Amino acid sequence: MSDPHLHIESLSKSFGTVEALKDVNLTVQRGAFVCLLGPSGCGKTTLLRIIAGFEQPSSGRLLLDGSDITGLAPHRRGFGMVFQSLALFPHMSVAENIAYGLRLRKASRQEQKDRVEELLNVIELPHIADRPVSALSGGQRQRVAIARALAIRPKLFLLDEPLSALDAKLRDNMQIELRRLQQSFGVTTVLVTHDQTEAMMLADELVVLSHGVVQQSASPTEVYRHPATPFVADFIGSANLLPATVSPNRTLALLGIDTGVTVPSVTVGALRAAVRSEAISLARSTDEGATATVTFARDLGPVTEWLVQAQGHEIRVRGASHAAAPQTGDRVALQFDPDRISIFAE
Amino acid sequence: MRIALLPTEAGGSYRLTILLLASLGVLVSALPVLVVTIMSFSASDTSGFPPEGYSLRWYGDVARMFLEEDTSSAQSVVDSTLTSLLIAVIVMGISTAVCVPLAYALARGQRRVRAGMELLFTLPLVFPLVMLGIAFLLIAESLALDLGLWRIAIPHVVLVLPFVLRNCLSAMNGISVEIEEAAISLGASPLRAIWDVVVPLMRAGILAGLIFALIISFNEFTITFFMYTIDVSTLPIWMYSRTVSSLDPSTLALSVFIIAADVLLIVLVDRLIAGKGNLF
Amino acid sequence: MSSTTLTQKQALAFATPAFIALLPFLGACLYILRFSLSAEKGSIDGVSLQAYRDLMTPFFGRSVWLTLKLAFVASAVVMLLAVPLAFLLTSLRSAAARRLLTVTILLPMILNLLVQAYGWILLLGPSGALNTLLKTLGLIDRPLFLLFNETGVLLGLIQTSLPLAVFPIVGAVRAVSPEHLEAASSLGAGHWRILRDVTLPLLRPPLVGAASIVFAFNASAFAIPLLLGGRRVQMMGVAIRDMISPLFNWSGAAAAGTVLILLTVLVLVVSAWLVRITTQKTGG
Repeated sequence: MSDPHLHIESLSKSFGTVEALKDVNLTVQRGAFVCLLGPSGCGKTTLLRIIAGFEQPSSGRLLLDGSDITGLAPHRRGFGMVFQSLALFPHMSVAENIAYGLRLRKASRQEQKDRVEELLNVIELPHIADRPVSALSGGQRQRVAIARALAIRPKLFLLDEPLSALDAKLRDNMQIELRRLQQSFGVTTVLVTHDQTEAMMLADELVVLSHGVVQQSASPTEVYRHPATPFVADFIGSANLLPATVSPNRTLALLGIDTGVTVPSVTVGALRAAVRSEAISLARSTDEGATATVTFARDLGPVTEWLVQAQGHEIRVRGASHAAAPQTGDRVALQFDPDRISIFAE
Repeated sequence: MRIALLPTEAGGSYRLTILLLASLGVLVSALPVLVVTIMSFSASDTSGFPPEGYSLRWYGDVARMFLEEDTSSAQSVVDSTLTSLLIAVIVMGISTAVCVPLAYALARGQRRVRAGMELLFTLPLVFPLVMLGIAFLLIAESLALDLGLWRIAIPHVVLVLPFVLRNCLSAMNGISVEIEEAAISLGASPLRAIWDVVVPLMRAGILAGLIFALIISFNEFTITFFMYTIDVSTLPIWMYSRTVSSLDPSTLALSVFIIAADVLLIVLVDRLIAGKGNLF
Repeated sequence: MSSTTLTQKQALAFATPAFIALLPFLGACLYILRFSLSAEKGSIDGVSLQAYRDLMTPFFGRSVWLTLKLAFVASAVVMLLAVPLAFLLTSLRSAAARRLLTVTILLPMILNLLVQAYGWILLLGPSGALNTLLKTLGLIDRPLFLLFNETGVLLGLIQTSLPLAVFPIVGAVRAVSPEHLEAASSLGAGHWRILRDVTLPLLRPPLVGAASIVFAFNASAFAIPLLLGGRRVQMMGVAIRDMISPLFNWSGAAAAGTVLILLTVLVLVVSAWLVRITTQKTGG
């Protein structure tokens, strides 16, 4: 089902001579949860701030339901936003914070009260309405900030690294909570994060950015299984990037090992392949097939991680732990899962 | 659209109003000083604005005042200026010497004590200057002591204490206890650690305090107005006595020197404490 | 005992020189109070409230009223100008522009008051810059009298007390997070609405603090009304001085001074109290 809600059209942004975003094109489906993911300085926050209206793009357009909102002032957009610092108003109580957007929309007092109550129930903090913001814990503040943004029934729900200030355990809980809230409200959501686990967990669609360029925009599984660029392969789950050669029968060889993957005949020039650590298996052997040496092994319980040295490359391998697993110093043969190899032109 | 207290783009009536009021504020602040500067280059004797012509004749007058022996009045401009400077130096020395240890004690002491002390030392800032002047005059008269320069220097020290202390305190803020402990662990006595580590790190704040003391003491009028005598008088008092009946353009030229000196000193302070707290 | 935490004795030793330097000030405060209770006009002798009773004249009443009025108007105008100036000062990107503006605003507070008075006299006098400008524009035929009356004094007060408000507000404005403004905007507030609902409430304690200090400063002004009011604007500072200089009524001056001090202290205390109760209400 395709129901485009937000459409970003050849958007660019430069600050002085620095190009923060380069020709970004993106379509967000109605009700989708989109995560903008990338290392710091990749332009993800700038993109979110342009969607919110706090920055103007240097060129390009933003279309919401087909109408151009590029020049619209942020306070007329009706997008709820959760800020990195949360930005709860310290001079207002919890209820006043949540009701503020409704007050601006001239909602009646009763309406405001009902909505605040409704949202406090949704975030499971029904008794804190009259508390000052300063009396809340970190997790409570988080929920109140989310409630405040959702109270205005936003057309888009925008979040700028909202969970980065929380400790690991609380962050886990909030991720589940956030996903649940988003689904029950059915609101189109764009979240910025640099944490790939968080993005994988929350997103319907993952948008990976690097140096202001969209590297890949697809479902988390797709991004993980079939990274579109070496950057994505490396950034998401850090794959092994290996030089590849094509044998005369047009199959791909990695480190001299035939993988059985057939390469289209149009491919020319040098190739690189990305293989995830769990798509490689090790076989202990003493015979000719042994091409690699285990330099490091660590048993993490259910799985074991190995570092192996082969032809001057250090390769990361991950597999189920078992009694006969190779140990440091063992000679091993490598096997690649042909379905899990991504090939890139150099 | 970037949301800011003063938006850089758009913002409509809001931006316009803020800019308008801010410009009005700048005008009120700057106009008197600008007019004095312009008029000091006037070629005529009258104070009509704008001047009919421009010349440096009043600056020549000022130069003459300083270079030629003036026997007509009890205290010459040279004497007043020297007195002003001498008092300023005394005030700078004393106020800094007492504020550095106090700031150290407050920064390392209990928080509650610190708040009370800061308040106590801020009092001279809100205390009516007239009353301070009258009180010091009454005390000096009733003690019947020949205090000389100290008649004026002592009240000035009181007046600059809040400024000097504020600067020393904000200089102390960034200096962690650990750095002192490091010096002690290397064998310095606690006092030696303060002298070798803390004081050098406070240098910018101390300098800013010194400059504040200089500026305030050199420009002080109200208290000095009550305390001056025929023998001990400062430059502002000399200017006042000269212009009490009418404005003399050569005084304007002298004013321009004072303005220039003050501007220079403020810029210096601003550089010293740039990014670190506020001017006061 | 750790060697870097001060014992009380050490702290006292470090603080003593400063106390000695402050002693003349504390002495002066007490001396004024004592003199105001003297039964004699010219010396400290006996205890009586006569000096205070003698203050209850229409003349002194008018002076108090004029002082409060001018200080209030000046403070209101100062706040109206200081907040936008603080916004401007904090949003300037170029360091040179920021420095220029800082110097321009700060200068009036520390520059020799005589120089400022000269400036105002040249600006507002009958043949001064303003009258010349208005005449050239054809707005007036005869010069306006702006000097040696309340207008001149008011302008002088505004100018000299402006920095006292601007710099503390600048410090407070820097502490306002831009995300608070953006949050209000994302919820639908325009610029004016953000100012009313978020910026000003967040700035309230420093604003009240700055306003009360400006008021106290202006109420106790002396040199400005003396130089720009030409004796005709009898603010309390000038009135007190006149009790001494031509009249030698020392105890009266001390009593009037005590009233002035109490007035300014009252304003400072009440405003501090107001800030405290209003921030407690929302829990700060």
